[in-house]
Amino acid sequence: MTGFLELLVAGLNTGLVVGLAALAVTLVFGVARFANATTGDAMSLGAYAAFAGANVTGSLIVGSAIGVAAGALVGAASYLLVFRKLVERSAVTALLASIGIGLFIRAAIGLAFGHQQKTFQLPLVRPWRIFDIRIHPNDLNLALVAALALAVTFFVLHGTPIGRRMRAVADDLSLARVSGIAPARVMIALWLLAGAVTSVAGIMLGIKAVITPEMGWEMLLPAFAAAILGGIGHPVGAVVAGILLGTVQEMSTPFVGFTYKIAISFLVLLLALLLRPQGLFGRVAGAR
Amino acid sequence: MEAYIIAIAIITAIYVLLALGLNLQYGLTGLINFGHVGFFCVGAYTAALLSKHQISPLVTFPVAALLAALAAWPLGVVSLRLREDYFAIVSLGFSEVVRLVATSERWLTNGVQGISGIPKLMDGLVPRAAEPVAVLALLVAVNLGAILMMRRIASSPFGRVIEAIRDNEEAVKSLGKDPAGFKMKVLMLGAALAGVAGAFYAHYISFISPEQFVPLVTFQIWMAIIMGGVGRVSGALVGTLILMLFLEGSRFLRDIIPFIPDVEMASIRLGVVGVAIVLFTLYRPQGLMGDFTRR
Amino acid sequence: MRLEIESLTMAYGGLKVVDNLSFTMPAGDIVGVIGPNGAGKSTMFSIVTGFLVADAGDVRFRGETVTALSPVARAKSGMVRTFQVPREFSHLTVRENLLAAAPSQSGERLLDLFFRPSRVRAEEALLAKRVDELLEFLKLGKVAGISAGRLSGGQKKLLELGRALMTGAKLILLDEPFAGVNPVLIEEISQRILELNADGVGFLIIEHDLGALTRVVSTLHVMDRGCLIASGRPAEVLKDPVVRAAYLGGAS
Repeated sequence: MTGFLELLVAGLNTGLVVGLAALAVTLVFGVARFANATTGDAMSLGAYAAFAGANVTGSLIVGSAIGVAAGALVGAASYLLVFRKLVERSAVTALLASIGIGLFIRAAIGLAFGHQQKTFQLPLVRPWRIFDIRIHPNDLNLALVAALALAVTFFVLHGTPIGRRMRAVADDLSLARVSGIAPARVMIALWLLAGAVTSVAGIMLGIKAVITPEMGWEMLLPAFAAAILGGIGHPVGAVVAGILLGTVQEMSTPFVGFTYKIAISFLVLLLALLLRPQGLFGRVAGAR
Repeated sequence: MEAYIIAIAIITAIYVLLALGLNLQYGLTGLINFGHVGFFCVGAYTAALLSKHQISPLVTFPVAALLAALAAWPLGVVSLRLREDYFAIVSLGFSEVVRLVATSERWLTNGVQGISGIPKLMDGLVPRAAEPVAVLALLVAVNLGAILMMRRIASSPFGRVIEAIRDNEEAVKSLGKDPAGFKMKVLMLGAALAGVAGAFYAHYISFISPEQFVPLVTFQIWMAIIMGGVGRVSGALVGTLILMLFLEGSRFLRDIIPFIPDVEMASIRLGVVGVAIVLFTLYRPQGLMGDFTRR
Repeated sequence: MRLEIESLTMAYGGLKVVDNLSFTMPAGDIVGVIGPNGAGKSTMFSIVTGFLVADAGDVRFRGETVTALSPVARAKSGMVRTFQVPREFSHLTVRENLLAAAPSQSGERLLDLFFRPSRVRAEEALLAKRVDELLEFLKLGKVAGISAGRLSGGQKKLLELGRALMTGAKLILLDEPFAGVNPVLIEEISQRILELNADGVGFLIIEHDLGALTRVVSTLHVMDRGCLIASGRPAEVLKDPVVRAAYLGGAS
């Protein structure tokens, strides 16, 4: 039983990472209308930037802030340099371009940092024992950070004018244009937000596990699956689906083995697209 | 030097088969297949495993093609129900699952340790020294056959329909023709070619492991057909040549700049593939040889 | 090739686009459908041919209920439509567009393509003759070798028509076939429609060009806001005050 609960805790942690990544995916999918495959490698970028920042400043917190800022900037840059020019083209063109950007980011990371895995220097703390379950305070901290990131994101989306404009653009781009909402500024804000969220997810992943150039790419499929399962363009749905999926994935490890975890995401993705393309929370707009 | 050129030529010929298959699927039919390396993997492992049991290539190659084509079948079923970007993502997941299976099913594939000692194709048929040239000759013949087949398809009624599907699928339906069967055939045929390429690859490189069959290979082929010109058989050829020039040219770059270790070379190649894809999607999606429009 | 539409209803976001629509079209007839924009005419076409699924109602073709059939199956059974906004195969030439429309080509089957090349060639030769004749009739001969995507709007309309004619279907649904086409050609097309009709091909035509339409159709249906507001001979329908109010603006 304790084993199960500990697995559950581990699952929830992974779930939060997947949930944040899925949130970033669904934000872009909802507003910019394409599946952003850069998300995975952008997660790695966030982790590496935080790692470098932490090494330079000696503080994990400052390093993480640098990582988040780096992610936001890279997100905005990818919009300004690439995605903005692909607005008139098909969703696949943007998807393909996002894959190209991801490869480039992965290459840059490999060149800058090498391929050996790295880890964040975390203070050594003994895990707590709550009801006989080992809970690491770091995990709790991470969960808090994730919750904070989610809170900020939802506040931006629902409590600020620019967030309202983002949602208007997501609902109807041409209408938004006509009613005078300046899409360029909205888009930059969106990409900054999505980039920041992606970085948080990446940093969390790096803290939980290890930092390698491939770490983010491996999360891409789960992030996509969760975004679709939650309903494209549905931030809450993406987070909930991500937590669910991440938890299930971790908890399945004793049964399907370490390697096949990702296959579960693939299965979920496939089933969601075929059976319920609008996701758990979505409206119409099928997968066809 | 000569041996080096033959080696490059062999790899090029293998990649041409991959490009021809992808060109049939995307260039002619408009199917966004991001999982092409999965078929390559199935073909390679099939040939490797069967040949380790002393089964003749005359059998292993067709079986590799057949199994790769069968692997395309579920993907084909799915493609009919999904819009193109979702299918692209699913196909990407598919090739990753193939790689996961190769990694996990150690009893079959020996997992991450891979399969080594795959016999050379022409062993026993020709003297040791002449083996690479003989393989190259065979590959060239297979390439020619594949090119002729593709050209025949492209200029045929079948080719008309698949290009029509690419251009306007609803209109094809309104004429009483079902896109489903055509798409399925195209996916399976392209996969079969990739399977044959995989079989050649396994014998040539004599050691295969799951991490050789990563999505990067798929996107290198995508880069090849984009650069050469989507939709034309000649484009697939030209694009592959350019790809090989770049992949091998970077090796010379390493000779000139000696302090770049191997691993970094891989990163540089990765980066250039990424940048090339972005640049081409931005500025010249129709590639060097012109787009689908022939006139 | 009798077509029966019964109680078709389709709502989109609370708005009834097609509202309890019913009519019967006898085999071998030429029937016109007119009405203001947004009346639901093209939607009705899409429902009849299977591209849209109605919320309620049935479609019967040749006595059989086809409501559950896919668009491909319906087209195969002899019912072919054109689209209001032309859907040409933009990267194929005009000639190839027409060739592609012909049914049952053995060259579309891979096995036949590679193992029965002579049969494929023979079929292609026959098809080529049909296409050449059609190209000449549609006055598209000069652009036969040009990518269809580069045609003008009117030429694309003609190509749509040509493709429908190539299918050999017995019921052809034309969606604004005369839009953007010059009057002389309209006259020739109308003539051709009458000739084909004499051979047993039925036509259901949506059009705004009333002059051209009334010269070929025997029956006219008028739709407004998803409903059928009048049906009958063209002369009578066009005099109907309800129709005039809804569509013709009261002027004669």
